[in-house]
Amino acid sequence: MIEFYGVSKEYHGRRVLKNLSFKVAQGEFVFLTGPSGAGKTTVLKLLYRAEGPGEGQILVNGRNVGAMPPGRVPELRRTMGIVFQDYKLLPSRNVFENVSFVLKFLGVPLAERRRRAYQVLRLVELHHRVNALPEELSGGEQQRVALARALVNEPELLVADEPTGNLDHRLAQEVMRLFSQINVRGTTVLVATHDVNLIRETGRRCLTLDRGGVLEGLVEAALPPQAAWRREGGIKLPPRDEDAR
Amino acid sequence: MRRGAAFASLLDEALSGLWRARRVTVVSVFQISFSLFLVGLFLLAAENLGGVVDTLREETAVTLFLRPGADEASRAALESRALESKLVAAIRRVSPEEARGRFARSFGSLAGAAGTLSGNPFPASVELDLLPGAISSAALRPFLANLAAHPAVEEVQFDVDWIRRLRGVVRLVAAAGLATGVLLALGAAFTIANVVRLTILLHRDEIDILRLVGAPEVLIRGPFLLGGVLQGFLGGLVALGLLAVAFRGLLFFVVSTENVLLGVFVVRFLSPATCGVLVLGGVLAGLFGGTIASRRGHV
Repeated sequence: MIEFYGVSKEYHGRRVLKNLSFKVAQGEFVFLTGPSGAGKTTVLKLLYRAEGPGEGQILVNGRNVGAMPPGRVPELRRTMGIVFQDYKLLPSRNVFENVSFVLKFLGVPLAERRRRAYQVLRLVELHHRVNALPEELSGGEQQRVALARALVNEPELLVADEPTGNLDHRLAQEVMRLFSQINVRGTTVLVATHDVNLIRETGRRCLTLDRGGVLEGLVEAALPPQAAWRREGGIKLPPRDEDAR
Repeated sequence: MRRGAAFASLLDEALSGLWRARRVTVVSVFQISFSLFLVGLFLLAAENLGGVVDTLREETAVTLFLRPGADEASRAALESRALESKLVAAIRRVSPEEARGRFARSFGSLAGAAGTLSGNPFPASVELDLLPGAISSAALRPFLANLAAHPAVEEVQFDVDWIRRLRGVVRLVAAAGLATGVLLALGAAFTIANVVRLTILLHRDEIDILRLVGAPEVLIRGPFLLGGVLQGFLGGLVALGLLAVAFRGLLFFVVSTENVLLGVFVVRFLSPATCGVLVLGGVLAGLFGGTIASRRGHV
């Protein structure tokens, strides 16, 4: 589903990713973690071609994303659900419109758009706020709207950048349960997060980016410097809180 | 995506965009309508001047008043000379009785006075309808002099210089109107372009987000283009309304002042076809402005 081969990326002379290679299979649920500045967001941006790779090759469903002509990028993005770190909600549109406009691109009739938007807003417990504008919502609510928008299209690949950053623990767990449900239906899920507890509780495969600003390569079994991570049955899990203590 | 659904989405987005920026939309529509209103004024003047030209064209008949007692042979010779000139389209004979009847119809209040005269004061005449283009022909003046010299002709009534000058003025006004109209239409187009560009700047963040979530280019740029077209269309309709009000006002002024001269010129509102052209002009100006503003470099 996702294949990175020797991908490097620089911003203004500063190398953020260096010779990065990894694979995520179809239907997998994978966490991407690492300290701030390690390049998690950059990896996601490369996936949906918000950035082009400096070097290397990125394949999504066998399609070379880096070499994709600009005219095909929207089509690629429509196969993904993307949850942005800063939500990226349309400020002048209400919750329903923010969630359903993706379906509008696809020619889904209004009644069907309403039904699906309502369903997904129920999942994130925002069905009672369909007419609210983003500015009327709390940070957590805005994040859930962004989640709903990413899920409404039942995408092949769900990409989320810190999707639980502004949620309380109960809602964060609920979101992860949602992601799992989506994943069970066959959607590949890639979540960038630094929430170690969340990764541990979910018990999913985890890819770690090195600290230091420069990616030296992905080491699945590496232990992060600030915590002892451990491998259990082939799935890397961060330690439980008591273990860390 | 099905074409119908795609267009419905496009229209929905365009209308939503106009509604969200409704203050800017209203200002823009009024700016466009003002430009089109001025264009419409010129069209109104041009159409009515066109009516005057038509009247003049009808007036390009040369009247040859015959001497009393001019016989049939001399009349026939006169008509034959006229036809040979290749400047005349048709010849009409007017008897003294017919001339008196015309006078009575044109000047009803004086008809009684004419009837009190012992004889018929109106001479027989021959009317020559000139061919189109005869007015500007160099052969016209010698032809008229030749007719005036005919023994059966008492007087030739035709002021070629005056008609030529008037037609020249009409042509000049029509050309000036056309040029001004084109300039104003371009002005309207650039007004729309600026309004659309302003709307794009206001929605820059939304456009970026739409791109990130995979909106097709047609649904990103299309609403701005369609918004320009809709603004042009609305501007055209408002301009027509303003023109109708102005025309009514002018008519009221003419009637209240009983100004005969104005009455000659202000005779009719724009024809349905011209109204259509004005609205279409608004739509095209909107399309042009929207296209300029929503080019890929700007959106």
